[in-house]
Amino acid sequence: MPVLEIKNVSKQFGGLMALNNISFQVETGEIRGLIGPNGAGKSTMFKNIAGFYATTKGEIVYQGQNISGHKPHAIAEMGIVRTFQETTLFQELTVFENVLVGCHIQARSNLFSAIFKLDKPRQNIARDQVLEVLEFMGLSERQEQLASELPLGSQRALAMSIALASKPKLMLMDEPFAGMNPEETLHMMELTRKVQESGMTIILVEHDMKAVMGLCDYLTVLNFGQLLAEGTPAEIRNNDKVIEAYLGGSK
Amino acid sequence: MELIFQSLINGLIQGGFFALFAVGLVLIFGVMGVVNFAHGELVMVGAYTVWLLHAQHGLSYFFAIGVAVVLVTLIGLFMERFLFRPTQNDPLAGLICSIGMLFILQVVATLVGGEGPSKQVPPPFHGTWVLFEYLRIPYQRIFSLLISFFALSTLWYFLTRSKLGWALRAVSLDKEASALQGININRISMIAIGIGASLAGLAGALMAPLTNINPHMGHNVIITAFIVTIVGGVGSLSGAVLAAFLYALFHTFVTVYFGGTIATICGLVLMVVVLIVKPTGIMGTRISE
Amino acid sequence: MNSNTQKIVGGSLLLAALIALPHFLKFHHQDLLIFLTINVLAVSSYRIVTLTGEWSLIHAVMMGVGGYTAALLFKYYEVGMWVTLPMAGILTAAVAALLCFPLFRTTQFYFLIGSFAAGEAIRLIWIQFVFPFGGTGGLSGVEPPMVGEIDFMESIPYYYLALSVVLLCLFILYLIENSRIGLTLHAVHWKAALAESVGVDTWRYRSLAFVIGSFFVGIAGALKVHYLGTITPNQFGVGFMVFILIWVIVGGYNKFYGPILGAVVLTLFDESIRGFAEVRPAIYGAVLILSILFLPLGLESIPSKFKAWSGIGKERDPLSLTDK
Ligand SMILES: Nc1ncnc2c1ncn2[C@@H]1O[C@H](COP(=O)(O)OP(=O)(O)OP(=O)(O)O)[C@@H](O)[C@H]1O
Ligand SMILES: [Mg+2]
Repeated sequence: MPVLEIKNVSKQFGGLMALNNISFQVETGEIRGLIGPNGAGKSTMFKNIAGFYATTKGEIVYQGQNISGHKPHAIAEMGIVRTFQETTLFQELTVFENVLVGCHIQARSNLFSAIFKLDKPRQNIARDQVLEVLEFMGLSERQEQLASELPLGSQRALAMSIALASKPKLMLMDEPFAGMNPEETLHMMELTRKVQESGMTIILVEHDMKAVMGLCDYLTVLNFGQLLAEGTPAEIRNNDKVIEAYLGGSK
Repeated sequence: MELIFQSLINGLIQGGFFALFAVGLVLIFGVMGVVNFAHGELVMVGAYTVWLLHAQHGLSYFFAIGVAVVLVTLIGLFMERFLFRPTQNDPLAGLICSIGMLFILQVVATLVGGEGPSKQVPPPFHGTWVLFEYLRIPYQRIFSLLISFFALSTLWYFLTRSKLGWALRAVSLDKEASALQGININRISMIAIGIGASLAGLAGALMAPLTNINPHMGHNVIITAFIVTIVGGVGSLSGAVLAAFLYALFHTFVTVYFGGTIATICGLVLMVVVLIVKPTGIMGTRISE
Repeated sequence: MNSNTQKIVGGSLLLAALIALPHFLKFHHQDLLIFLTINVLAVSSYRIVTLTGEWSLIHAVMMGVGGYTAALLFKYYEVGMWVTLPMAGILTAAVAALLCFPLFRTTQFYFLIGSFAAGEAIRLIWIQFVFPFGGTGGLSGVEPPMVGEIDFMESIPYYYLALSVVLLCLFILYLIENSRIGLTLHAVHWKAALAESVGVDTWRYRSLAFVIGSFFVGIAGALKVHYLGTITPNQFGVGFMVFILIWVIVGGYNKFYGPILGAVVLTLFDESIRGFAEVRPAIYGAVLILSILFLPLGLESIPSKFKAWSGIGKERDPLSLTDK
């Protein structure tokens, strides 16, 4: 059963067609790679799915429900969370607090219970969950540090931790391995696989082809806003159109 | 009938004033990203200068206008150099500094003019142009209108035809890209605030014979300028000019029939409505994430 | 544990000082103390609005909304302060809630200007509609209550009344800021898009902060009008708004006590320049500019700067969520 169906989605910026009539489906539990040269429209696709941009045309169907036009927070509540291409963290908060904000959906409280501390049990559960995520991502030692003080690789890991803390069903990861050294990348790939095994669906945008080919079950290729090809990593590797797009594309 | 014609003309003249100070506000915001809350006080200083030199010391009106423009320009340049430039990474800080400046200018005006009732400047131009029976326009107003138009067209010509004007617009579109192109942002900021302040000074000098002059007259000016810039679309000069004339006509007519306070309330509500319905204003475009 | 005892001791000492204070003051200074107490609530409630990063220019007018609510209820419905006080908070919060719909469609610069416009519109409505608001002259004859022998018209009893109300309000504001909600408000401030991506409805939280802040400043307005007896539209104009800004900025807006510090210090400063009535606004303007240029984080930042300089501790905004 597809968890996500993109149906004839287009996104226009002024005169530029950043996405042109794109359709594809993502199956529950897979790791899908969304690749393409710079400016292909990958991030734009993510922003459309997550509700940060309004689609110009077309439908985005998640678990059988049309979510195009929904607000980002409403979409997050339905279980879709995106990470950002540029490192995006609460720089002024500690690592722990960053992830704690990520638990918003489970841990939020209303004014009354906040004032009278009636939400304490829920907050304690959230704190345990934060510790769990930090442990999983290998950030436990750094939990008291400010996010801005982390090295780049750990910052990317923190960004992923924030997303994980919201317990999504579908995670859109925009170049999660950018800025990591090969060792860190390998480690993160392993973690990503573990996340998938816990039942989550992942769509991955990444320029590191080794990582993409190693992780993804299936690939969707975009180029200049068009759907160029779809297939297994092996098929895509040998697809002439894809090879041409990457070689001829502006890099 | 007479009332309608007369209001139309008055609205047009008001529109000229509104456009003069609103354009300056837009220019400063566009290039430097700060809201100059003291913009109304710049107008006030312009009016005070004319009062002091022309009405008090009998110097020529034109000379007084010249001094007003130069003085206010200098104040503007001072603000850019010592308030806005050091705070250029934090637009809020710039705004708050301009609020500080607002108080200082008000106190200076009070010290110069003394407490007491509003000051008046007797119109230097006498006589009325009788166009036909219904329509009489004092020469003073014609003069103001002509000068406003002249100043605005000069500005338009400068911005669209000169290299410097082009650089100015480039900075207001994209600061970083312009800096990469080798445009000196500090110089452009100086020019933007210089133009904005001189227009504010000119507006004050032209308004002086037609209005009550007091240290707090800047308050209404800034409210008007905000309404005009928001309705016209922040960052859009032509929008500000268009909105200035439309709003002036609107304000004049509502004032005639319902009173000035109601007119301003309507203007403010209009502005809030524009913010809701089309935050980019009638002429503005803004690509938003 | 140790720091908790310290806190309790410090708090009790402060409280004792606040209770004893008016008995050492001249009448005029008692007056001033009451206004200061009320203004502390005004700045602290403003702080919660700014937590989301939005600086509104309508806070002074919201205080007026509270004041007018109290005055109107007192005059036309003859209810006493015990009713007008909470009602002022509730009604101001309700007005704020309505304003959220237009205002929070915008952010930053647009919000600032929008809030300014909305505030001016409200103030002009008070001026325009002589019934019921009394026009430029406003309303007068609003009295504080009388309980048995205690006449709250007197400064000292009224001070104790205002002090208890304000302390209670500050306590609630403090609890909110240090709750889950406070953390979320910070998150909305620092990276709204990231907060949204994990399900935070930023519009709701901005509105919530605005409504809470308005509730408490409404109460401050009611406290003011019951002591002063009169209310006019000009008490809540740009002038007063700027004072709030100055107090918050000079004190420092990164910590809970920063704005309070600013209000206290500048009120003392204000007393000391009482002789220069004419140039007082200019002095304030200069103070505002100088503090922005040379002490952008406010007075509150001086100790941590000093610590950082002498190498004792690190500068850091303590944002601990719940007690550990
Ligand atoms: N807000 C926007 N306004 C105008 N154009 C935009 C906007 N966002 C993206 N674009 C344009 O849309 C196209 C697709 O951009 P997008 O960011 O989706 O590319 P991408 O595939 O993520 O590239 P990269 O691999 O470099 O991240 C680009 O040409 C870009 O310039
Ligand atoms: Mg991208």
